[in-house]
Amino acid sequence: MNILIVEDESRVAKRIERMTRDIFGKDLQSLTHINTLEEALAFIESHSLDVVLLDLNLNGEDGFDLLKAAVSGSFHTIVVSAYKDQAITAFEYGVLDFVPKPFNQDRLTQAFDRIVSKERAEKEVKYLAVKTRHRIHLIPVEDVLYGKGAGAYTELFLADGTKELHDKSLEKLEQLLSNAFERVHKSYLVRMSAVKEIIVASGSKYMAALKNGVQIPIGRTRYKDIKAKWF
Amino acid sequence: MNHKFIPFLSLLCILVLASACAEDRIAYKQGKSVMKLGDEPGWSAQDLDEHDWERRIELTDGRVYWSRTKVEILDTPESLRPFGVIPHVYGEYEVFWDGVLIGKNGNPGRELELGPEGKMWKAFGIPSHLAGKGEHVIAIRSSLYYFPDHVGVFGIELNYYDNLLTKGPIRTSFMHIFAGALLLASIYFLFLFLSNKKEYTTLIFSIICFLLFVHNLLEFFISYAPIHYKVHHTRLNALEMVMLSVSFLVPLYFSKQFPYPRQKVLLVVYTGVLLLLYSFKSDNTFIITRDMSFAMSVFSLGIVVFGVYKKMKGARLVLLTLPSAVLIGLATSFMVSLYAGISLILLGMFYVHSLRIKEQRLAYENSLVQSTRLKLELVKKNIQPHFLLNTLTSLVDWVEEAPKKGVMFIEALAKEFDLFNQIEDQTMIPITQEIELCKSHLEIMEYRKEISYFWEEEGIDLEQKVPPAIFHTLLENGITHSLPLDDNSIRFKLVHESNDEYRSYTFLTFALGVRQGKSREEGTGLKYIKARLTESYQSKWSLDSESTEHGWKNVIKIYH
Repeated sequence: MNILIVEDESRVAKRIERMTRDIFGKDLQSLTHINTLEEALAFIESHSLDVVLLDLNLNGEDGFDLLKAAVSGSFHTIVVSAYKDQAITAFEYGVLDFVPKPFNQDRLTQAFDRIVSKERAEKEVKYLAVKTRHRIHLIPVEDVLYGKGAGAYTELFLADGTKELHDKSLEKLEQLLSNAFERVHKSYLVRMSAVKEIIVASGSKYMAALKNGVQIPIGRTRYKDIKAKWF
Repeated sequence: MNHKFIPFLSLLCILVLASACAEDRIAYKQGKSVMKLGDEPGWSAQDLDEHDWERRIELTDGRVYWSRTKVEILDTPESLRPFGVIPHVYGEYEVFWDGVLIGKNGNPGRELELGPEGKMWKAFGIPSHLAGKGEHVIAIRSSLYYFPDHVGVFGIELNYYDNLLTKGPIRTSFMHIFAGALLLASIYFLFLFLSNKKEYTTLIFSIICFLLFVHNLLEFFISYAPIHYKVHHTRLNALEMVMLSVSFLVPLYFSKQFPYPRQKVLLVVYTGVLLLLYSFKSDNTFIITRDMSFAMSVFSLGIVVFGVYKKMKGARLVLLTLPSAVLIGLATSFMVSLYAGISLILLGMFYVHSLRIKEQRLAYENSLVQSTRLKLELVKKNIQPHFLLNTLTSLVDWVEEAPKKGVMFIEALAKEFDLFNQIEDQTMIPITQEIELCKSHLEIMEYRKEISYFWEEEGIDLEQKVPPAIFHTLLENGITHSLPLDDNSIRFKLVHESNDEYRSYTFLTFALGVRQGKSREEGTGLKYIKARLTESYQSKWSLDSESTEHGWKNVIKIYH
């Protein structure tokens, strides 16, 4: 585990650090604490991470820029903040968990467990933050038809026919996206409401035909479950 | 429209009606008057040879002179209703009607000897048997010791005797209604001014009302308190002076209500015009009054038209009243129109004033709301989640890891809460209390941030008071936005300076990486400080912020 803590309250940061070490023990490869926005952005750019623990109010600055940058990364983001009213927005942006202050070790453990157990996020994600060359922009989740795993990344196919590349793996996106999406195949995550019908092709190949004509393969092992659940 | 208008409007109607359906008159023709120096009893005779009598004579002392005026009565009088006459002449005199002495006003020829007696205007009854249709002669034997140059007959007013007696008091009673209203308005607005001495327009308005009250009294008191002709001029001079002041003050009032560019220049020019009018025709009160009220109306109209053009509040209604004043002036007698016109202008002023009072009330209510909001903001400082929950999180950690330190932390927190409790209702607190608040906040932040904070002060005048939590807010900003120096410390310094012009507080932050972003410029913290300064010092303050080599500098100046 490579973990970054972004927090400008020194005592709070130390607490998170201590508890994180306790929770992960030997599994922890690196743990870094940063207390300014700029440094955090730079660090995210240049290091490979698994989790970022983020305070949304750094030195009085609006933390949502940092949040956008964080959620577009390949890692999961957990917000640790005093502002509970920001929780909904944070979830909409695609954080895995929101830990309100003051917190104890149990609550932090619960947050980390989501990563380990690949449990889905509690709240619905509304946007996916996608990095382009110069900036990060937000794609409404409702525009996404399906995602296709491409190594460590995911290709997102949108309703308007365009395609975006997300830094997160298909597994991580599956965790964030709501139940409206189904992992129909090792490499595909599909919005089920976009599926028109299931076509059974020769050689017991199963395909999900989308309303726009695209056909997506359904994993042999998953077909039964999907059919039971959706049709 | 404002309900305050109704009594005034009805009063106005009564007045106009009263003057319109005035008393029944009799028709008569007045001939030219002739005069002669000297004193002979026979000069009163109806059919005297007037060939050596003159239209004009020179008089230099208190000698007796006679005047004769022919009057032709065109109506047959009602039976049992006697005629009467008021001669419009100066002096003390005896009046003969067709050779018969019908009355006496003072002691002609013996004024010095017997002292002033009689009154300026006096009505004389004409015996019924002498007052038939046809030509008559009024002979007046008079002397003019006090104003020998005012010799002459300025008019013979012929009417039913009862009309002549009641006409003055009736008109006076109507006009004094205005006087009463004006006096009350004057006192009311004086009280308003005394309760808020910055409102000079209220004072001007009060003075205008009082002057008009005085003008009204001077104009009409003679019908119940007759004066001797000796003091007539003094009265007229007083009337002119009052009118001059009113003519100056009314446009001045409008200038304050509806400000326009180059006010001073225009007011000086206008004053010049008034003084010219005053000095050129200083021998005729009627003309001066007419001209000055005309000048006043024109200038006021100009100001109000500008006000309407600039869409100032109340200007439109006042604009309506001014031309109506002029119209009434054209339709009725001069004195009635003067007061009716002035009353209309007064109504306009009342309206403008009621609007201003409404505005002030709204502003006051707003300021109350603002004060409450500031109080709330102060209370919120300690319970806003960023402060409270971060503090509690740190506190939990201290309690778990180093309970003794945790207790000290709780004590520091209790101290700050206590200080906030003491100040939350105040709009001004002693600077010492404010500094104490800052220090206790630093203590808390040391536990949270584990940075060494230092507080310094210089030249603090312990007697001074400041709005609560303004430096505390600057301190919070300083803590939030800056990073510690290499030795893990941040220093704050409060410097007080004072000179003839202002007092200044300079708040210095010595730290690294002080941010200058927009959040600092427009943050709620700075808004709070500005609102507090405005609440306590209105516009007499300034707040400047700038970055320096060592960190950040805020300067608050409070002007005397």
